[in-house]
Amino acid sequence: MRLISRRDAIGLGVFVAVAGHTAALASPVEAESEIARFSAGATPQTRNITIDLPEIAENGNSVPLAIAIDSPMTERDHVSEVLVVAERNPRPVVAKFQFTPMAGRAQASTRIRLASSQSIIVLAKTNSGVLFVSQRPVKVTIGGCGG
Amino acid sequence: MQPMKGPIAVLRRLSVAAFAVAGACGMVTDSNGAERVKTSAPIAIEGDASPRPWTRYPGWTTRNFSGFNSLASTASPPVALQPRKLDGPIVGDPAIGRQLVADRRRGGSCLACHIMGTAGNADLPGNVGPDLSEIGNAGRDDEWLFNYVFDPRVYNPETIMPPWGTHGVFNDSEIGHIVAFLKTLKEPARFASALDDPRKRPTPEEKRDNLDPLVNPGMWAVEKAQELWKTPGPNGSSCVSCHANPEAELKTWAASMPYWEPRLHKVLGVEEFVTRHAKATTGQVFLMQSDENTALAVYLRYLANGTPIHLDQTSAEAREAYSRGMALTTRKIGQLNVSCADCHSPDKGGLKWVRGQWLGQLRGQLDHFPTWRTSQQSVWDIRKRFQWCNVAIGADDLPPDAKEYGDLEFYLAAQNDGLKLNVPGIRH
Amino acid sequence: MDMAEQPRIKLPGQARKGEIIEIKTLVSHAMENGLRRDQNGVTIPRKIINRFVCEFNGQLVFSCDLDTAVAANPYLQFFAKVEEDGTFRFSWTDDDGSTLTAEEKIIVTA
Repeated sequence: MRLISRRDAIGLGVFVAVAGHTAALASPVEAESEIARFSAGATPQTRNITIDLPEIAENGNSVPLAIAIDSPMTERDHVSEVLVVAERNPRPVVAKFQFTPMAGRAQASTRIRLASSQSIIVLAKTNSGVLFVSQRPVKVTIGGCGG
Repeated sequence: MQPMKGPIAVLRRLSVAAFAVAGACGMVTDSNGAERVKTSAPIAIEGDASPRPWTRYPGWTTRNFSGFNSLASTASPPVALQPRKLDGPIVGDPAIGRQLVADRRRGGSCLACHIMGTAGNADLPGNVGPDLSEIGNAGRDDEWLFNYVFDPRVYNPETIMPPWGTHGVFNDSEIGHIVAFLKTLKEPARFASALDDPRKRPTPEEKRDNLDPLVNPGMWAVEKAQELWKTPGPNGSSCVSCHANPEAELKTWAASMPYWEPRLHKVLGVEEFVTRHAKATTGQVFLMQSDENTALAVYLRYLANGTPIHLDQTSAEAREAYSRGMALTTRKIGQLNVSCADCHSPDKGGLKWVRGQWLGQLRGQLDHFPTWRTSQQSVWDIRKRFQWCNVAIGADDLPPDAKEYGDLEFYLAAQNDGLKLNVPGIRH
Repeated sequence: MDMAEQPRIKLPGQARKGEIIEIKTLVSHAMENGLRRDQNGVTIPRKIINRFVCEFNGQLVFSCDLDTAVAANPYLQFFAKVEEDGTFRFSWTDDDGSTLTAEEKIIVTA
């Protein structure tokens, strides 16, 4: 459900192919600037980032999110920081995780709030500045006839 | 906000003066080995178990629904008997109609129940009603379309669709716009993803470990109740004074609830029983839906987890409560004019989607109550769920200890007969 | 609802040297995002836990900067690789500067 396209993310706009169709990330300016800041000019690589999210969230108040990045997590080569962005939330940055080799795995999960159906973008940086990116869409149900 | 005098007035009314017969606080084991509430368990007879006058919870809509039926009152406008004659063809703007049918502020509007082509970006429409994507080709004239939206009962007395015009949700000109839009629908809907198509959407399955406190914050209630159990009330006694070993003594009790209480001439659920029993014994006042009451209600059922729900329906009064409850599930209420059965019976809206939410049937809806609601970040008991549903469809909520809710809970519990308690639940 | 209740932490009491263990944490907190209004229309001010830190024997294992989109009663699950006996120390910091801490010991066998 997540592929990294060969196009580079340069500042604004990250193009990713998701589930067979290409979706331009029409992210609001805030989300883009947070992503640009985190990326610090690095070009994202292809890597195994798994983003676990329900396809349809039962509500926007508590959506389980799990992130896993393939990494040896040694002193020499480990994921050091992960940025989670919800492109359509009022404040796009959801959380920033910091990992050390003592974590053993570049894996974490939490529960988040989503204002509407949107894509969650995950960027991961290693200790040597290598950048990975992936995204996953989630539909958010807001009440049926009233909740 | 509830008026300050409410709870205090209730406290005065739950007077010490009128107690039930204070027999031994013992449990009776019936022939099935299940414990039953002995009808001599002390309960406070006077007063209400929740504040009066009842006012809606903060944060819920403040709209007044007194012009429509509730479970306790009849007030809805009369049913239209004849279709209205129109003066001429409909003049409406399909672009406005396209917005109105997707307007969530108007009772979910049409998309709650119908696929409607590209309206609302075909974003999670429901399928309680038929797919209307090609209604523009169905050979229906303007007058028929107008009247169907205004009050479908003139064509189908059994309909579960709201009478949008008779009940004042849409005015004539808005219905005109809607009709103009309907006439443009001539092609099957195209969905951005299979998830949007209610016919292909996977049915939600609840798989969370609801008894793991790290998964279900609602487990706070169990710990809180264990503290309360030992906390003395004004009389100097606490629950533990009579119930020293709840894990053993109350191992199946809650599975027999709710029950018919002859001293009050109504059905009592666990929550109301806690209010009245605590007051009559330790002197503590735990009104329904207070944190303490909710914690104890969760705990009492938690102790009986794994026990199949089974009500005592041997008395004539209990059977009458069941019949009244059943009738209440078919009573049309609210501005949207629906009954419980309209949404939760599989032969109507049950097991279908209303917008992006799955409508469960009655069986399977009680065994996990009280439940943590992730959308509310709090534990709700079944009475609060009833209140919420009432308000959501445009009907006034009743106080949680309303006798109508008691009858409804009795009928609902009977539909859940044999299902094992699993409390606290975790749901949206 | 504040950080009055104790945080819940789940991790094994014992592990083998070099094993990667799973840690789950949950703390009671409304995580008020500053966007809600009360019944009088007044905005309820933002008040969240904005930082979580997990250390082992004084060394950083994992940390998290939380923003307003982390759900109420924040739950964080992560891993730690243990090489020796010791103490995990967890801390949650509120916008108001107050910090809640908790500790859990672990025995590490060869």
